[in-house]
Amino acid sequence: MVGAISSLCKTLNPAQLTGPIFSKELRVSSRRRRNYALRFIYLAFLTGFVVVSWLAAMQISAQAGTALQVARMSLVGMTVITAVIWFQFIATQLIAIIMLSTSISDEIHHQTLGILMTTPINSLQIVMGKLLSKLFQLILLLTISLPLLAIVRVFGGVPWSYVISGLCITLTAAVFAGSLSLYFSTSSRRAYVVILKTAFSLAILYAFIPAILLAILQGHPLQIRFLSYLALLNPFGVMQVETMSMFSPLAAQPISFFPWHWHCLAVLVATALVLGRCVQVIRRVALRVAAGQLSWDSKRRQRRRQKNSTKADRHPDKSKGVITRVDRPPVVWKEFRGPLIEGPGSRNSIIGLIITLTALLITYAVCAHENCLDKDGTHTSYVLLFLLLALVVNLVLSAASITSEKETRSWAILLATPIDDWHILLGKVLGVFRRCLPIWLLLAGHVLFFVLAGYINPVAVFHLTLLVAWTAVFICGCGLYFSARLRRTTAAVVANIAVALVLWAVVPLLLGLVSQVSRDDDILEAYVSANPLVQAVVVTFGAAGEYNAHAPLSSLRYKWPGYTASMGRTTGVLLTSVCIYVLAGLFLAWRAKRRFRRNIF
Amino acid sequence: MIQTKGLTKYYGSLPALVDLDISIEKGDIFGFIGPNGAGKTTTMRILATLLEPTRGTAFVDGLDVTKQGKEVRRRVGYMPDFMGVYDDLKVFEYLEFFAAAFGIERKRRSTIVEGVLELTDLKSKRNADVDSLSRGMQQRLGVARVLIHDPKALILDEPASGLDPRARIEIRELLRELKRMGKTIMISSHILSELEEICDHVGIVEHGRLVFSGTLEEIVARLGIQSKVRVKVMNNQRQAVELLSALPQVRQVDTQDDYIAVTFHDGQTGDGIIARTLVNGGVDIICIQPERLKLDDAFLQLTKGIVH
Repeated sequence: MVGAISSLCKTLNPAQLTGPIFSKELRVSSRRRRNYALRFIYLAFLTGFVVVSWLAAMQISAQAGTALQVARMSLVGMTVITAVIWFQFIATQLIAIIMLSTSISDEIHHQTLGILMTTPINSLQIVMGKLLSKLFQLILLLTISLPLLAIVRVFGGVPWSYVISGLCITLTAAVFAGSLSLYFSTSSRRAYVVILKTAFSLAILYAFIPAILLAILQGHPLQIRFLSYLALLNPFGVMQVETMSMFSPLAAQPISFFPWHWHCLAVLVATALVLGRCVQVIRRVALRVAAGQLSWDSKRRQRRRQKNSTKADRHPDKSKGVITRVDRPPVVWKEFRGPLIEGPGSRNSIIGLIITLTALLITYAVCAHENCLDKDGTHTSYVLLFLLLALVVNLVLSAASITSEKETRSWAILLATPIDDWHILLGKVLGVFRRCLPIWLLLAGHVLFFVLAGYINPVAVFHLTLLVAWTAVFICGCGLYFSARLRRTTAAVVANIAVALVLWAVVPLLLGLVSQVSRDDDILEAYVSANPLVQAVVVTFGAAGEYNAHAPLSSLRYKWPGYTASMGRTTGVLLTSVCIYVLAGLFLAWRAKRRFRRNIF
Repeated sequence: MIQTKGLTKYYGSLPALVDLDISIEKGDIFGFIGPNGAGKTTTMRILATLLEPTRGTAFVDGLDVTKQGKEVRRRVGYMPDFMGVYDDLKVFEYLEFFAAAFGIERKRRSTIVEGVLELTDLKSKRNADVDSLSRGMQQRLGVARVLIHDPKALILDEPASGLDPRARIEIRELLRELKRMGKTIMISSHILSELEEICDHVGIVEHGRLVFSGTLEEIVARLGIQSKVRVKVMNNQRQAVELLSALPQVRQVDTQDDYIAVTFHDGQTGDGIIARTLVNGGVDIICIQPERLKLDDAFLQLTKGIVH
């Protein structure tokens, strides 16, 4: 017994846990300029966010008299602290996911994982070394904001408990997201795949499953209790409850069954489980790599390959059916050669597809049961969901289209052929559109089905087609540009996603805060009207629902930010977006073509 | 067929190539030799139109590689020092893809692909996944790919690197076959003994500069290397040394283990004289072996800066 405890203590000793991996990671990260850039960008965003929040909050107070201003200082403090805490909460999770997305896959790629396994370093040390070194940097980012939080607290109204709980929830959520990313990096070569897998897993865990379960439990007496259980594992829920408690302590009481530290403990337990699985998997992965098998090749795929090779060796002329002939321009042929849905032979893909479709049908069934299929909000939610999915897929696939060839080193060989650069560009564009097609088909399927069912006005098809056209062209052009410019797929994907986030999330947010200061909403309204998500909401909301579905076109009214517009004006807004973004997309695609023959190696 | 004039390439402020002048005649095999980082790959990438030179010109079949890139690509088969593979393509599809990329008519593609598969001995692997092939097979597939459009010139960057002895011999035989077909080949390799056996001309580069260009015989003359013969006798080694030392053509005689190393004066040779002298002197000969100039030795001497 004593021996076991002593062994456990030895294993969990921080010095033993971190080991040489930890110091190596810290040394390497201190030499990477991007880490300093990351800190600078983080700090710049945080400062910008705080300044604008501060100005917005002060502007409201300035309208009142001095006494009221003083009285409202605590509210200003709370607003700023909330902005900082929420900014950190979301940003650190994203950073943790990105930072840990290459932790194990890089070791596999550089063939150093096998070498590590030949040393006395154990799997736990590798996993913890990787995690803790990145965690160290995250803590550094969180620490940056502490002086700011301390200063703002002087205004009063912000309890220490909120600052502490906010930081703890943020830290545990980031650790959990990072450990998931680390786990996925053992099975995926590309960082952007790991990032997407982690993001989708968290979305399923934090949003999709709770939404489905809540829909099923609609009206059930257990619903409230169930909400509290959900909050136990959902950091967004807990953070929301903590924020509500600070602003109005009584409002959050009914669903606050669990204090935040229970949530943190639960998340840490979940993190430990994920890390435990990582430790289990990592040695197996190392052995497979050492045996010459790439870890990201599934066993099934390897078996299939082996079988095909053996078959081809034995009967070189009998398996001709598997060969497809090049019957169109070569790049287009190659881009169109793969299956429409990635890995149709793979069991996991089919299971995933079935689960997704079943879940979707369940939501339709629940909506039908609740009689909300004729509500405009229902279709707006679906359109928004499908559009978001399609945007993410489009952003990733377009950015990966050329860099993936650079990474497999086939790009130089392709450029050494006399194929025209325009043909390569066309092939890549068509390839991206074709791979994104299944997701766009989900949107098209939903809209067309409910147009036929009489729940959506047919004009929505036209409007959404315009919206899809410009978003697809712009994102594709932007993705191709980064793909041609950068060498690594991950860098291109991150850059493409960053552009979309800045254009459609950060700038509107900052403009929103600035408009509160300047009291001028015109720029904000014009800018937000060109946001794809806003356009999706407006055109669906204006055309869906019991009344709108059957209304004549002249009586349709679309609620744009700040004004209501007719169908004609809405079409005008959409066509303006089409012109601007399609031109921008084409320009970026042209710039991508111009960069094809630079940065080849 | 291939010519460069004052070819210069800088990566930032780092010179990778400085005023490189080379000329390769039609039908020649040109061995491009140099230590790592000497500028071999850079030269080859410029000739394959994948890099633009900072200064100077390069011509393939009379076409400027910077101004007539597309036409040059039609005439050149470039095999880089890595194997770029497309996931999930089969050997036949891979080759047909490049046949289409080189603008070969659809009707002729199948015949051409089968032809190059036959030539490179990959017929049995036509249905195998490209990324499942062994390294040797992939190198052969690389050669098959560069032959698909029947180019006039082949630029092969380290085609034998990382291959086992059997695969290296196979690649060498393939290159000999291509020479017989009249292709002009520019090849770089670290395994100099292989180039020695197949190259008509060699070019040695160091720090981006061409240290030497010419035939092996010209290297001998340039380095002033004397002809050497190894003699092994059955008995009377001391007598053999005395007899050989007395010969006017011989510059030096050394005894090394169980053989005698005979060095002739510059430009002198004399295997026959040695045999005659020893037999007449009553010495039984086991063997007389002329010592050839090794490309490795020439490479070492040239890249050490001995010759200026």
